Amino acid sequence: MTGPGPLVPQGSGDPRADMRAAAEALSRPAGPSGPRMTSDLSIDEELVLHSIGWEPVELVGGSSMHSVPMGVWNWGQGEISYASVAYARSFGAAVQRLHEACSHAGGHGVVGVHVEWSVEPHHIDVALVGTAVRPVGATGLGSDPIFVSDLSGRDFTLLRSAGWSPLGLAAGASFVYAPRRSMGAAMQQSGQNVELTNYTEAMYAAREAAMERMQEAALQLGGTGVVEVKVTEGPMEFARHAVGFTAYGTVVRLLPDGHRNLGAQMVLPLDDPVVSFDAASLRS
Amino acid sequence: MAVPAESPDELPEAAVRRFDEGAFSSGLTVPDFAACLQMGLEPVGFVQGYCVMQWQWYGMSPMGGGGFGYQWGGVRGYSETFNCPHGMVSAEHRSWGQNYEQSWMEDAWASGFTTAYERMVDEATSAGAHGVVGVVDTSAPLSDLGVVEFKVQGTAVRVVDGAPPADGRPWTTYLAGQRLAKLVEAGYAPVAVTATVASVGVWANCITQYLTEGSGSLYGGATPGAEIVQTVKAQTAARRIATERIRSQLGRDSLHGASLTTTRTERGEGDATVECILRGNRVRRFKDFDPMPAPRPTVRLL
Repeated sequence: MTGPGPLVPQGSGDPRADMRAAAEALSRPAGPSGPRMTSDLSIDEELVLHSIGWEPVELVGGSSMHSVPMGVWNWGQGEISYASVAYARSFGAAVQRLHEACSHAGGHGVVGVHVEWSVEPHHIDVALVGTAVRPVGATGLGSDPIFVSDLSGRDFTLLRSAGWSPLGLAAGASFVYAPRRSMGAAMQQSGQNVELTNYTEAMYAAREAAMERMQEAALQLGGTGVVEVKVTEGPMEFARHAVGFTAYGTVVRLLPDGHRNLGAQMVLPLDDPVVSFDAASLRS
Repeated sequence: MAVPAESPDELPEAAVRRFDEGAFSSGLTVPDFAACLQMGLEPVGFVQGYCVMQWQWYGMSPMGGGGFGYQWGGVRGYSETFNCPHGMVSAEHRSWGQNYEQSWMEDAWASGFTTAYERMVDEATSAGAHGVVGVVDTSAPLSDLGVVEFKVQGTAVRVVDGAPPADGRPWTTYLAGQRLAKLVEAGYAPVAVTATVASVGVWANCITQYLTEGSGSLYGGATPGAEIVQTVKAQTAARRIATERIRSQLGRDSLHGASLTTTRTERGEGDATVECILRGNRVRRFKDFDPMPAPRPTVRLL
């Protein structure tokens, strides 16, 4: 077995030669390669990150679970504060742990964060996993605070190229009772096709509270907006008389140099999918 | 058909006959097939490895009911004790709890995965392959009786005009086709698929029990709405064990395209099993590459 060989110069431009060189390299012990990294990014994301001078460092994660006391999902009025607070605290603690893991790994931020959360009758769980990244070759922590973002490597690149910077994840949630109808209203609506305003109003109340909390969190981070907002809404599976609304997204801020026009070019791909004729389209 | 032996020379007779027939088989899509040909990889055969494990202790609480396979003296790795703040209350009171690494479950998972993986590689070796691309692995219950099937499969390939692996064992990767081509172009050589599981059991103390069940504590200490610290520590430990184990296997190589999934299975009264599966492509840098130019934004006229 031979010793570690020199790295092959870049730019052969011949995929067959590259593949042969890669296979040959495996017959030698690992050479003096660069810093070891772990990443859940795709090769496309890693390449596009490199194009703006960033590189993956390490796979990092954080999670939290907060208790929801028994009985809070029973019939009531107004917001189910225990659940809303448990969601906020779980999200906040998970983000904080992701920050710590990123800092420990020497990252300047985390991209492509997968957000998994669940609302159970007695606890709310949040788990975050992403890849810590840093400017290529950077050592130590950056001057800016660590950012956490659920944007993909591709979206992170696009955002930075346009003169914007991700700051963190902002989340908001609200869980609200849909109040019982009065006996009179229930009898009056019996057998009718009518709006159940108690549910509609509960949905609106939950939505306004959750969105406001998310935006407040964004402002606290010093952001000017939230992109890629994901929302869920609807009655709770285990308590159909309660509705929930959750929202989270990546907080962004314009960098001092201002917005840069990307000058996007229009392209007409030649691999269009075949669109078959649909007779139903003639009716409209 | 006999169970595949350890040596690739002792593959099942039907497998040997199949590989000797001359026609290749492949699990690649047509675009991936085309990309592999473009980079000088010719498919040799569709290779698979199976291992069905009896898993009597799977999912059972070792300290509660059942307990098959529990090795009181053989537990290794992480453990952390959570004492009750209340003192002696009653015989039913959970006066202490513990998080413990379920090493016997990790070993069983590793045994099943590794055996299936090695059987796949044996098939590829027997077929004269240099590598296996597009690997897919699964582990799923085969029945309700604690039987788990591990399956690893992929497409064995040969590098045209390339040297065979020095040790005769083909390299493997979850990637295929275009993504593999870009990986190699970016300067990484695929070494092997790698996967591990970390399993941590939660034997809840009284506080964890109260908080997980949402019930209050007559004796204090379980603030309504508080964080369930013991369970969170189990999740954190499971992630740490999995990532540290993979990193210890990497040497100077890197892990690319990783997938980290954590699941928590409740056992009642706050007890739970937290499992973390980490898998990815072990890759080795073999050449430098210059960063590609900044991408040009486009708007597709679809």
